[in-house]
Amino acid sequence: MTSITDAPPAVRRTAPFGLLGYVVLAAVVVYYAATHPFDGYITNILMQAATYSVAVMGLTVVLGLCGQINLAQAAFFGLGAYAVGLGTVDYGLNFWLCVGLGLVLVVAAGAFLGTSTLRLGGHYLAMVTISFQQIVTLVMVNWIPMTHGPDGVSRIPRPGLFTSAQGYLAFCVTVLAVVGYMVWRLPASPLGRAMRAVRDNELAASVAGIDVQRTKVTAFAICASLGGLGGALFAGGFAYVSPDQFSFAESIVFLTMVLLGGVASPIGAVVGTGLLILIPEWLRFLKSVPGLYLAIYGLAVILIVLFMPDGIWGWFSQWTRRFGRAAVAAVPADAAALELRGSVGHNNEVLRVEGLAKHFGGLKAVDGVSFTVKRGSVHALIGPNGSGKTTTLNVLSGIYTPTAGKMVLDGTDVSNLPPHRRTIAGLGRTFQNIRLFRSMTAVENVIIGAEHPGNPVGKAHHALDARARAALAFVGLGDRADEMVTSFSYGHQRLIEIARALAGNPTLLLLDEPAAGLNSTEKVELTGLLKRIAAKGLTILIIDHDMTLVSDVAEHITVLNFGRRIADGDPVSVLNHPDVVTAYLGSEPDAPH
Amino acid sequence: MQVTRRVFTSGLAIGLAAPAVLRGASAQGGTIKIGQVVPITGPAAEAGKYAMAGAKLALEKVNKAGGVLGKQLEIVTEDDQTTNPGAVLAFSKLATNADISAFIGSIRSTQMHAMAPDILKNAKPTMFGGTDPTLTKLGNPWLFRCRPNDGYSGRVIATFGLDELKLKKWGIVHSTDAFGTNGAKALAEALEKAGVKPAIIQGYSNQSQDFTPVVLALKQAGIDVLGSYFTFENDLGIFARQLRQLGVTAPWVGSPSIVNVTALKLAGPALYNTYGVADYAEDSSPEAKAYADAYRAVMKVDPDNQSSWCYDAVSLLATAINKAGKTDPQAVREAMLSIKGYKGAEGEYNFDQNGDGLHGYNIVQNKSGKIAFAKHIEFKD
Amino acid sequence: MDLVLQLLFTGIGIGSVYALVALGFVLIFRATNVVNFAQGEFSMVAAFLMVIFAVDLEWPYWLSFLLALAGMALYGVIFNLGVYYPLRHRTYLPVIISTIGASILVANTMLALYGPQPQVLSPVFETPGFNVGPVYLDSQYLLIIVVTMVLVAFQYWFFEHTLLGKKLQATSQDKEMASLLGIPVATMIMITFVYSAVLGGLAGILVAPILFVSIQMGGTIALKAFAATIIGGFGDVAGAIIGGLALGVIETFGAAYISVPYKDGFAFLVLVLFLVFRPQGLFGERVAEKA
Repeated sequence: MTSITDAPPAVRRTAPFGLLGYVVLAAVVVYYAATHPFDGYITNILMQAATYSVAVMGLTVVLGLCGQINLAQAAFFGLGAYAVGLGTVDYGLNFWLCVGLGLVLVVAAGAFLGTSTLRLGGHYLAMVTISFQQIVTLVMVNWIPMTHGPDGVSRIPRPGLFTSAQGYLAFCVTVLAVVGYMVWRLPASPLGRAMRAVRDNELAASVAGIDVQRTKVTAFAICASLGGLGGALFAGGFAYVSPDQFSFAESIVFLTMVLLGGVASPIGAVVGTGLLILIPEWLRFLKSVPGLYLAIYGLAVILIVLFMPDGIWGWFSQWTRRFGRAAVAAVPADAAALELRGSVGHNNEVLRVEGLAKHFGGLKAVDGVSFTVKRGSVHALIGPNGSGKTTTLNVLSGIYTPTAGKMVLDGTDVSNLPPHRRTIAGLGRTFQNIRLFRSMTAVENVIIGAEHPGNPVGKAHHALDARARAALAFVGLGDRADEMVTSFSYGHQRLIEIARALAGNPTLLLLDEPAAGLNSTEKVELTGLLKRIAAKGLTILIIDHDMTLVSDVAEHITVLNFGRRIADGDPVSVLNHPDVVTAYLGSEPDAPH
Repeated sequence: MQVTRRVFTSGLAIGLAAPAVLRGASAQGGTIKIGQVVPITGPAAEAGKYAMAGAKLALEKVNKAGGVLGKQLEIVTEDDQTTNPGAVLAFSKLATNADISAFIGSIRSTQMHAMAPDILKNAKPTMFGGTDPTLTKLGNPWLFRCRPNDGYSGRVIATFGLDELKLKKWGIVHSTDAFGTNGAKALAEALEKAGVKPAIIQGYSNQSQDFTPVVLALKQAGIDVLGSYFTFENDLGIFARQLRQLGVTAPWVGSPSIVNVTALKLAGPALYNTYGVADYAEDSSPEAKAYADAYRAVMKVDPDNQSSWCYDAVSLLATAINKAGKTDPQAVREAMLSIKGYKGAEGEYNFDQNGDGLHGYNIVQNKSGKIAFAKHIEFKD
Repeated sequence: MDLVLQLLFTGIGIGSVYALVALGFVLIFRATNVVNFAQGEFSMVAAFLMVIFAVDLEWPYWLSFLLALAGMALYGVIFNLGVYYPLRHRTYLPVIISTIGASILVANTMLALYGPQPQVLSPVFETPGFNVGPVYLDSQYLLIIVVTMVLVAFQYWFFEHTLLGKKLQATSQDKEMASLLGIPVATMIMITFVYSAVLGGLAGILVAPILFVSIQMGGTIALKAFAATIIGGFGDVAGAIIGGLALGVIETFGAAYISVPYKDGFAFLVLVLFLVFRPQGLFGERVAEKA
C-alpha cells in the first residue's frame, strides 16, 4: 500500500443531493467573497489561500488518489504563473489565452515527466520531481531575456471582468469550488477508481485490466494542470511573479499542506492550505525571537503527522462518521444472473504454451515448458516447491517477460502484451497472497475487475454494478457487497478476488494456489465454487499444492519440476507416473506450507 | 495515548485562538506610527537585526528631541521571512493598520517589486533600501530610496578603477539574482561608455559552495582589476579565499557587501586591501561618525549600510512629517521632496522627482580588517 | 592540463563532502526505507556544536571534536525516538513529512538559539594549503578526501567483517527475517540513526571551515547528496560514494566549461537523463514484485 490513509471514506452515492448542497454552499461562499469588505491584508491571504488550494488539490489527486509523490508542484505552479505573467506583460496576449497556454505547457511537462519516470515510482519519482523543480527554478533565474531573471515580472494585469481585487478573489473562489467539486467526485468515476486501484495494489490493478502506467501519467498530468491553473490565478492576483516564489521550499510547503489537511478529500486540501498560510501569520506575535515561530511550525508538522495520520480533515471526518452512520442496505443480487464465457470458441484450445522459458540470470526458473489447455476444462499445474509453477503463472499473466517461448490465448498471440492487455484479451487471475484494493468495498473491488474494454458488460455504471453484485452473489457474498474488504475473513477475501476475476468475463481463469491458507471447511466451499464455475463452461488453469483439491476438480494435470515439464495427462495416469512420484517423494508433504 | 491525543488537539485549538485575543490589545492612539517590513527569519535575518537597530536609534533620537508633531514616534515591525510573498503579507498586514503614517520597506529589490502594487494602493510614503534602479522608475509616487541606486554604484566602481587605479582589463563577477545582475549590467555599461570592454563577466548563483571554476576563468582572462556584486557574505568569503589561494592578486573593487561586518569576519585577510563602494562610510562625514558612535555603543559592533539607511529613513520621515505639519500622505510626500541638503549617516539627501535621495557613493578600503574612507564620488545627473 | 587538474581536485573535494552525507542517507534508507529530509541538519547541528565548544568556550580542538561527535550520537538517538520510531509501522510518506518537519524545527531552533549570523570555524591545519606543481591543494579539502577514503574502508570492514555489521546488514535486508533470527531490530535501527548522525556530523565539521557555519549550510549539501545517492543507485553504499564523487566532478567541470550559474542544474540534469533513458544502468534489471 502506498497510500498514507489507512481507510479513506467510502464514496457515498448521494450525487444529486450532494451536488445541490455543494452548489448552494459554494454560491454562498463566492457571494461572501465578492461582497464582504475585506481589508488588503485579508484579501491577500484569501487570494493566496484560494490559488494555493487549487494547486494543492492537484496533490490530492496524485498523492491521495493515485499514491504517487510529486515534489515539483511549485514548479508547475510557477510555469502557470509565468505563462500568464510573460504572456500578458511581454506579448500583450489575452489573459484567458495565457491561462490556456500555461495549462498546455504544464500538462505537457507533467506528462513528459510522468511518462518517462512514473514506472520507477517511490523515491525515484521523488528525486526526478526534485530535479525538475531545481531545473525550472534555475531557468527562471538565468534565462533572463525570456523570463526577466530574478527581477521577475511585475504589473501583471487581471482579466477585464475582474479587475478589482475583490472581484478577482470571488473569481478564484469560484474556480476553486469547481475544481473542488471535480476532485470530490473523481474517486467514484472509472478513472478515479483506476487511480485508487493503482494506489492500493499496482499488480492487482494491472491484472484487473487497468493500464497502470497510463493511469499514473493521467493523475500526474491532472496534478500538474491544477498546479498550473493555481499559478495562473496567483499571477493575476498578486500582479508580480519572481523565481523565488516557486522554489523547492514551496513545493515542500504544498506537500505539507495536503498531508496536513488530509489527502483523502479536497476539503483536506483547503483546510491544510488555509492553516499553513494562517499559522505563520498567527504566530507572528512570537517574532521577537528569530526562528521561534518557524520552529513551532516544524514541531506542529511532526505532531500532526504523529497524532493525526489522516490529516486534520481525515481526523475530523472520522469523528463525525462515528455518529450517524446508517447501514447501507445491500441491493439483492441474483447469483444465477452471472453469465460467464462458456465453451463456445474458434477452436478447442483456450491456451497454447510453446517452449516457455524464464531465466533469472543463471537460474532457469522455467525452462522450455509446453502444454495446452482445452476449452471448458479444469487444468491443473502442479509441482514441488521451486518447480517453477508461480513463475509460469507470472509469465502467463504478463508480470514477467518470458526469456523465450510463445503463448496463444484463444487464438491471439499474447506473448508480448503487458498484463492489462492480456486481461482485455480474456485472461483473469487471482494471487497466492491475496491482492485486493484494501481501501475499497467488496463491490468496488469487483467493479474494477469488470471495468475494462472488451468486457461485453459495457461501461454504464449500473451495468457494472449489477455485474459486480452478481459475481459476489455467485461466490456467496452477495449480502456483504458494500462492506470494506478489510472486514472480511481471509477465506472470504479470496472469494472476493475470484469474483473480481469472474466479473471481468475472462476466457481463461488462472488461480494461483487458491486453497493456500484456507481451513478445511473453506476448502470444501472452494471446491464447490470451482465446480460451479466449471459447470458454467469457463476454462480454469489452477496451481495448487493441495492434491485433494486438484484431484477433485482437475480433468487434466501438467507436472513441473526444476522448471521442466515431467508429466502431462489425465489425473490418474499423471499421479502414478514414476517421475512424478520421484519428484514428490522425500520432498515436502503436499500440504500447504 | 488517548489522553495525549485529546490534550494535543485541544491545545491546538487554544493555540489557534490565542493570537486573535492578543492582537486586540495593542491598538492604542497617542503615537505616530511607522511600519517597518524587515526580515526576522530566513537567510537575511542577520541583516534584519541591524536594520531594526538602526531604525530604533533614530527613533530614540527623534523622541528625545520632542517627537513628531508633539507626539512620540513608534515603530511597528513585521517579519518578511526573507521571501517575496512574506514581504507582501507583512506589508499588507501593516497597511491594514490605519494609524501607520509611513513605512520602511526592504533593502532587497525583489521584495520591493513584490510589494510595489500594494504600496501604490496603500498610498503612503514608503522608504526603502533596495538599489535596483528601475524601482524608482515604476511611476509609483510613494517610493523613496534612502540609498544610492546601482546605476551609481556601477558608475562609481568604473570611475574609481579607471581614473584612480588606472586599470583597464576588467573582470566582473556577480550573483545572478536581481541585485547582482543589474549591478553588473550598470558597471559594464559605465565601462563601455568610457570605451573599455570588460575582459570577462561571470555570474554565479547564490549559495554556491565552490568558486574554483569562476576564479580559474578570471585567471585565464588575465584581468588586472576586478569588480564584483555579491549578495551573500558567505559566498563572498568563499570566493575571496579561493581567489587569493589560486593566485589572483589583481586589485578588487566590490559592491557594498564587501565591506560589511559579516564579510570582514568571514573572509578575514583574504579581503585585505580590497576596495568597496559603500553608501555608508564612517569617516565620510561628521554625521556618519556620530551615527557610528551611537550604534557601537548599543550593538557593540561596527555599523554598516544594513542599518544606516533605516536610521536615515526614520529621521527623514520625522523631518518630513514635522515639516508638513500633519500626517496626510500627500503633504508628507511633498515635504519629503522639498527636503534639500539633509545630512544623514549615508550622505546628503536631495530627493529627485523619482524618489532617489542619494546620488553618489563612497569608496572605502579594507586596511588589514579596518575600513578606511578613501574617496567620495558624487554625480550631478 | 593544469586547469583540468585543479578542477579535478576541487571536484573530488566537494564530491567527498557529498559522498559523506550521501553515505548517511543511504544507511538510513537501507535500514528504514525512508528518505531522511533532515539529513542536512545533522551536518549543521554538528558544525554549531563545534562553534560552541571550540570557539565560544575555547576548548581544545580535538576535545571539541570528540564532544561534538558524541553530541551527534545523542542527537541520532533523540531523532530516531522522536521522528522515526513512532511512525515505523506506517508507509514512507508520513515519515518523509515528519523528517521535513524535523528539518524546519531544528534549523529554526538553532536560529532562535544562536542567531542568524554565519560563524567562522578555523581549519584543522595551520597551513591553508600548498602548491604541487601548478595545482593548489587546499589542506582542508585534502583532509576531507582522506577521511572519506578511510571511512569507506572502515565501512567495508565493519559491514563485512564484524558481527554487529552483519546484523545491521541483515536488518536492512529483511526486518522480519532478522527479528526471527533474534536480532533486536529496533536497536539495530537505533544504531543506524546514531551512525548516520555521526557521519553527517563529521561531514559538517569538516566542511565548516570552508563553507562557514550557518543555518542553511546543511540544506544545499543534503540536496546534492540526495542526488548522489540516486546517481549511485539508491540503497547502495559504494554507489553513494561513487555518486557523490561523480557529482562533485561533473558539477565543477560543468561550471568551468559550460555555465557557472547553471552549476546546480547539471547534477539534476544528469540525474533526470539517467533515470529517463537508462534506469537499468543504475540498478540492473528491475525485479518485479513477487506475485
